[in-house]
Amino acid sequence: MTDTTTHRPGDTAAGGHRTAPATQCAAQPGTAPGTAPRAGTSTAVPLRFRLNGEDVEVHVQDPAAPLLDVLRHDLGLTGTKSGCAIGYCGACTVIVDGAAVPSCLQMAGLVEGRDVRTVEGLEGPGGLDPVQEAFVARAGLQCGFCTPGHVMALRALLDADPEPDEERIREVVDGNYCRCTGYVKILDSAREAVARQKTAPTTEEER
Amino acid sequence: MSTAELPIAPLGLGRAALPRIVGSPVERIDAVEKVTGRAVYAADSRLPRMLHGAVVRSPHACARIISIDTSRAERLPGVHTVVTGADTARVKWGAFRPDLYPLAIGRVRYVGDEVAAVAARDPETARRAAELIHVEYEVLPAVLSLDEALAEGAPLVHDDAPGNVAHEFGFDRGGVEAWFDRSDVVVEGTWQSERQWHGSIETIGCTAEWTRDRVSLWVNTQTPFLARQRYATALGLPLRAVRVVQTEVGGGFGGKSGDDNTSVICALLARRAGRPVQLVNTREEEFLASRPRIPMRYTVRLGFTEDGLVTAKDIEVVADNGAYTGKAQAVLGAATVRHDALFNYRAVRAHSRLIYTNLEPTGAFRGFGNPSADWAVGQAWDLAAARLGIDVPDLFLLNAVESGSVSPHNHKITSCELKQCIRRAAQAIGWQAKRAERTPHRGLAMGVSVHVSGRRSFGDYDGSSAIVRLTEDGRATVIVGEGEIGTGARTTLAQIAAAELGIPVADVSVPRPDTDLTTHALGALASRVTYVAGNAVQRAAQQACERLLDAAARQLDRPAAQLWVEDGTVHGPAGPDGEGPVSAPVGAVVRAELYRPGGEPIVGLGSFDNPSEFPDGSRYGNESGAYNFVAEAAEVEVDPATGAVRVLELAAVADCGTVLNPPLAEGQVEGAIAQGLGMALTERFHWQEGAPVRPNFSDYKLPTAGVMPKLHIGFADSYEPTGPFGAKGVGEIALDPVPSIIASAVADAVGVRVHELPITAEKIYWGMRNGEPGAAVPVTSAPAVPAVQDPSPPAGADRAGQEGDPR
Ligand code: FES
Ligand code: FES
Repeated sequence: MTDTTTHRPGDTAAGGHRTAPATQCAAQPGTAPGTAPRAGTSTAVPLRFRLNGEDVEVHVQDPAAPLLDVLRHDLGLTGTKSGCAIGYCGACTVIVDGAAVPSCLQMAGLVEGRDVRTVEGLEGPGGLDPVQEAFVARAGLQCGFCTPGHVMALRALLDADPEPDEERIREVVDGNYCRCTGYVKILDSAREAVARQKTAPTTEEER
Repeated sequence: MSTAELPIAPLGLGRAALPRIVGSPVERIDAVEKVTGRAVYAADSRLPRMLHGAVVRSPHACARIISIDTSRAERLPGVHTVVTGADTARVKWGAFRPDLYPLAIGRVRYVGDEVAAVAARDPETARRAAELIHVEYEVLPAVLSLDEALAEGAPLVHDDAPGNVAHEFGFDRGGVEAWFDRSDVVVEGTWQSERQWHGSIETIGCTAEWTRDRVSLWVNTQTPFLARQRYATALGLPLRAVRVVQTEVGGGFGGKSGDDNTSVICALLARRAGRPVQLVNTREEEFLASRPRIPMRYTVRLGFTEDGLVTAKDIEVVADNGAYTGKAQAVLGAATVRHDALFNYRAVRAHSRLIYTNLEPTGAFRGFGNPSADWAVGQAWDLAAARLGIDVPDLFLLNAVESGSVSPHNHKITSCELKQCIRRAAQAIGWQAKRAERTPHRGLAMGVSVHVSGRRSFGDYDGSSAIVRLTEDGRATVIVGEGEIGTGARTTLAQIAAAELGIPVADVSVPRPDTDLTTHALGALASRVTYVAGNAVQRAAQQACERLLDAAARQLDRPAAQLWVEDGTVHGPAGPDGEGPVSAPVGAVVRAELYRPGGEPIVGLGSFDNPSEFPDGSRYGNESGAYNFVAEAAEVEVDPATGAVRVLELAAVADCGTVLNPPLAEGQVEGAIAQGLGMALTERFHWQEGAPVRPNFSDYKLPTAGVMPKLHIGFADSYEPTGPFGAKGVGEIALDPVPSIIASAVADAVGVRVHELPITAEKIYWGMRNGEPGAAVPVTSAPAVPAVQDPSPPAGADRAGQEGDPR
């Protein structure tokens, strides 16, 4: 391998590794570019669900494995982060059938046939999701590691309630850790997201 | 009216007008990749044929390794390699005192010590294989606290450290005893801080790949160049055999500054496996084996005249190093002298010892020891204010340093708006009004702190260098090895370059550090990047701009001195013979210069070394070229039934010179306060046999949005003459005073002064019921001693300028 043909970690310009097409995963589990083969692929079971608006099939070794690992390792969607693996930090938050859930606690086998959304699925043809725009505009991130989790939690909130009150916003932000910001600008971003959501063209069908 | 309420005079410093980009809320250059999940953090790296690692750690605080049986692990399908201490260069490493093997040899010294590691096709298989490695130990007596380590005849953590002393130094500058004799009021007490973990939501991780005899490491490190040096030593390799590339860093706070073994083990695994390996700490490992804040026990004695002028300060510091040293001895140095740059002490004495224990090694954490120092010394100041009958802000104002002050350790204060910070913090919290109408169970307190903008401690250099390259498409690339850990450093440096070059910030890119490609830099520590690297980038951009204008002068036929750049276009005036004004896009000028016969690329070089001194063994020497300051005030409410503390409001006014990007600077202050509140109130583990019980976020409580008080953040009107556009550092300062302020506010609210962090409800509850159990004692019996009482001098405190390793 040479530097010119191989994606190097940390080289964001060459980020083609991150969204392995689902069909490829289905056909050759564990051999998609940038995907670690999983143990005992011979006994892998197929898992079908809707992911960011597309039907995917992936073969998992252990249906009891966390959805987080399937997303990150089998599907190459590394936008969803792991911070604790025990359901406390919220960095792994994804949306399953409209509800924000910690994907580290979500058994992969149980999303069979369900609708899963990750941070990779938020950006539409029209650009960033209003929640993402709000975090950019209000400096709602520093290291950015907690950001996908916060963004997904707020996306789920706004889908359920487009005009949440202050208390509800605080409740949702309170559910996810951030070690960098002291939350002030995350709360600003959340309020900004509510405002932007009101003015943004509805893109239900995109989502 | 108290002095704290006097109006604040405008500064009128006669500064040059600042470019428009400076001080504007420029959007982060990395914001979009972070909100979309595209940023590639350590665990997101993927290389073809990459394996995953797992580490076997000691379950004992101290034991001899009798044997290691790796055969069962090696037989597990999917396992590629296993390494133990026998596969290493058997070299000890460490930033200052090499005492750590990459994998244990012969002996383990804390619960979490690395013993062996596995690389397998996926993380699960690696973890299962690690469990199959059988290590036979002979358990040895361990020292599990400072007191046990210091006891007569205590077992030694390292045979070459008699008395378990890893490092020791002291000084007496100005003769404290004579000053105590002349003091009217002397206060004294002992305060103890606790291990605090960085709790970056991203854990430490590395991906390693060898090509022939050279290893590339993609690491979420704060300090790629310093880390490379240490990793090369640990691997027994020459420096040139190691390349470090910084991935996105999901929070650092000192915890990712290259004192732990993870990257070294990752490199060992990749070499033996002949394939790339990724090794990422689990959260449990991060709690067991990173380098948390050093618990420090301070005994403080402070003297004052009856009018409230501070005379002398004497401290005895005992710090828990844990099993290995890392940067702890540098932290102890900073935590012993830094706070003497806050007030005009006439004499200061200290005796500081870093003590080995069989506990998790400690190290650098945002504030670099100063939160522990400011907690203890701040408590003594608070007691003194009460004894003197002077309101705290007034006592601070009476003694605060100013521009031009020089500390007993030769800290030369250039710009200083500490007094402005004190007054404005008092105003922001409504000090006077709240003092006038006291509400039951509510308490008010203030604290102040000083921090550096870079600190000379890794050899006699605290510099940075930068290359600014102008591109034929009219953009600029700022090549500098400092990196980004979340603070927005790359954005700030882009702003500085853009301001000098006259191009939009959006047209500036700042690639990540790669020891092969970017300039040498010490990295993100000691609040140094804005100040030190900012200066280097500013100079490089100035030189690039000069070269651009020289080229444009030839192309546009105008003298370079008459040309200027605005919004990415070079402009010139009308010519002498009636030609109109001229202009050309920056990119066109660069391209024409490149394409001209004998033409050259347009680059500018810049470097800057902090105008500071490498402190001697007694820590005498001006640590930094610029000092930043903060004053913070808080109001708390204590539930009299349970002792639970609620922080209602907190005001912080920081002097960081010119604020280059307000939202970024505010973010540093807000985040630092949150970490300070965690340190003050909730962050700790219960311990059992030398290890934290359930080492995860279930038991270690980081502050959440719900516990944050209402914050009032402000910045002093200030200008640092040696800083880029007048700027200084701001990354750490706001954390430093928080524990002390919360403790003082609790004492003000319910009369209980806690002497051991964190300030839990339980300690306050028992304090309110007159002691038993816990470390809290009612304020009325706090150890404030009258001047007539002559406390025995701390052992060994009278050794002026005693020899020690300079740092
Ligand atoms: S990783 Fe799922 S909650 Fe922390
Ligand atoms: S931005 Fe770093 S953890 Fe939230």
